Amino acid sequence: MSIRNGVSPKAAALLASAAVVATPALAWAEEAAESGPGMSILIPKPAEFIPALIAFAIIWYLLAKFAWPMFVGILDKRQETIKNNLDEAEAAKIEAQRVLEEYKQQIADARREAAGIVDEARHAGEQVKADITAQAQVQADEMIAKAKKTIEKEKIAAVADLQKSVADLSVSVAGRLIGEDLSDENQRKLIEKYIAEAGTLNAN
Amino acid sequence: MDILASFPEQVSELVNEFLAPAMIGTDTFGLTQYIFWMCVAIVVLFLIIWAARNRESLVPRGRFINGFEFVVEFVRNDVIKATLGKTADKHAPFLLTIFFFILVNNVIGVIPGCKPGTGTIGVTFALALYSFIYFIVVAVKKMGGLGYIKSFAPAGVGFPMNVLVGIIEAFSTFLRLITLAVRLFANMFAGHICLGSFALLTSLFFTALISAGNFLGIASIAWLAILVVIYAVEIVVAAIQAYVFAMLSAVYIQLAEADAH
Repeated sequence: MSIRNGVSPKAAALLASAAVVATPALAWAEEAAESGPGMSILIPKPAEFIPALIAFAIIWYLLAKFAWPMFVGILDKRQETIKNNLDEAEAAKIEAQRVLEEYKQQIADARREAAGIVDEARHAGEQVKADITAQAQVQADEMIAKAKKTIEKEKIAAVADLQKSVADLSVSVAGRLIGEDLSDENQRKLIEKYIAEAGTLNAN
Repeated sequence: MDILASFPEQVSELVNEFLAPAMIGTDTFGLTQYIFWMCVAIVVLFLIIWAARNRESLVPRGRFINGFEFVVEFVRNDVIKATLGKTADKHAPFLLTIFFFILVNNVIGVIPGCKPGTGTIGVTFALALYSFIYFIVVAVKKMGGLGYIKSFAPAGVGFPMNVLVGIIEAFSTFLRLITLAVRLFANMFAGHICLGSFALLTSLFFTALISAGNFLGIASIAWLAILVVIYAVEIVVAAIQAYVFAMLSAVYIQLAEADAH
């Protein structure tokens, strides 16, 4: 109730003031209409109002039917297309990233594997090298041993040969010296015995 | 200051030129200069739309179609969608038409020697009437005739007051029609009078400088500079008024749709 009583006079005052404002405005309008331009420029002329009314209706109809649906449609379609393409590009990018990761992983694996193979090969090579060296050593040792044996044999043969020659020579020398033929078998054996004794003494 | 002696007379001539009677026939039934320029603007508008239709494709090529689409997109997104939201597509044809019709008319008016079709209250009032009827129809469709009338009076206000507030509300709604029409018309009209006045000043001072050797005539350079600035402003105003008209129409439609109190 208090609100109603409070606002009512205000609204009445508003109405009153509106009336006060309206009166001179109307008077001015009349005055202006009499004295040529002024208020009359705010009164629509039928020759302008009616053609504008008709023209706009026609334009509205034509554009709404033939222009805007097409433009708006193509704008929406473009927006949709761009959005789809961006989404696809995003998906492709993620896929590419994933494939790249995969390839990187594969390359890393391959590298590790290659390193392993090279390592193994080096190891194997070293093994082979060691084997060959050892084999060569064995062969060399064998050859050396064989050579030593041969030398020994030759030496023994040479010594025997020499002993025989010395014996012969000695007999012949002794025979000449004493004028007696020492080629008798017994004497010869005796001399050989001496030489052998001497040879052993020498060898020792 | 005898240079300015003829200025008032020439200004009143200028104003009279803007208020010139019909070229053919009478003001009640005939062709006025504004309707002539409105028809020129309509032809230009159709040429633009036709050219745009021919160049329209999913991938826009060339400056013309890109520029055109930029304007359509701007009105559609920043004016229509931003204001109306969900129902934007339903009202877009009307608002786009309003915007482009006013824009082309205004811009043609800025070209020297041309007049804007929107430079007379007759045309702007017709446009305002369409906008006015449009949002009332939207409101009546939403709430029904009686519902719309009732919506003027705020709910929860007692008997004598709600009628009074309702009348004020109805009056302010009706004023939208007047303000839409007068705002556009006055902007175009005043802008052109302003341009004309400075053009007059420039020519008066320049004539004084050349024919009478009056060195005050050098001021014509200043008038010319001001004229150029006002010209730039007028080009901006031409676009802004089209924007304002479309924007307010959109807001009125939005209010009509949202009116649920």
